[in-house]
Amino acid sequence: MADAAATASSTRHRLRALLSIHPRLVAIGVAGGLLSGLLGVGGGVVMVPLLVLWAGYDQRTAHATSLGAIVPISIAGVLTFGLAGRVHWIDAAALAVGAVVGARLGAGWLARIDQRVLRMVFGCFLVVVAATMGIRA
Amino acid sequence: MTVLVLAGVALFGLATGAAAGLLGVGGGIVIVPFLTLALGLSQHAAEATSLVVVLPTAVVASLELRRRGIGDLGQALRFGTVGALAASGGALAALLLPASTLKIVFAAFLGLVGVRLVRDGLRE
Repeated sequence: MADAAATASSTRHRLRALLSIHPRLVAIGVAGGLLSGLLGVGGGVVMVPLLVLWAGYDQRTAHATSLGAIVPISIAGVLTFGLAGRVHWIDAAALAVGAVVGARLGAGWLARIDQRVLRMVFGCFLVVVAATMGIRA
Repeated sequence: MTVLVLAGVALFGLATGAAAGLLGVGGGIVIVPFLTLALGLSQHAAEATSLVVVLPTAVVASLELRRRGIGDLGQALRFGTVGALAASGGALAALLLPASTLKIVFAAFLGLVGVRLVRDGLRE
């Protein structure tokens, strides 16, 4: 009887742990999700800096965690845009064939790279992208 | 579309996928301009098509990183699921907004993040 109560309590505890998410992570997910749906991107460009600067993740873990969060976020975007009939499937398939091979390579680099170098590379990437957009606009 | 063009597109996909896996992003920030400028898609079509590439990229990179014990995929999927609700809202807003407005929003967003990062880099 006591055992059953203890099991129930531990199950409840585990369930609560499973459902509990840090409020900052929720806010980061919402920011990434909004941006993703609005602009057709993964949202990592805003989630990675927020995970490092606001949630206290180290650089490597932030990049890996961002990629994980992009999975459910992009599913929602694909469904919404897909139902609206806006996807060019042949272009998407050609890009995706290359991208999945590249993704394994890139993830392998992420696992090994020095974290300070990673931060510099990420910062430069954003600056270059922003400058390119600025010049075009 | 010719086979050669498709091969070129796949090669571009390879480069964006590798960058995405390293940088922890989906790659859409590069794919959307590529689709509008190189392939002539409308802004809306480019965003929709980009997300179809971003999804498998993130899945493959996440599985590889989990195999190597990096990051917390369970936690990421949990707050990402909350983010997914926001993503649906964002996508609906995108479909309702004119393409020119979307382009301006996209450029302004990138500029803000870029300036922030340069400022942080100069402070260090």
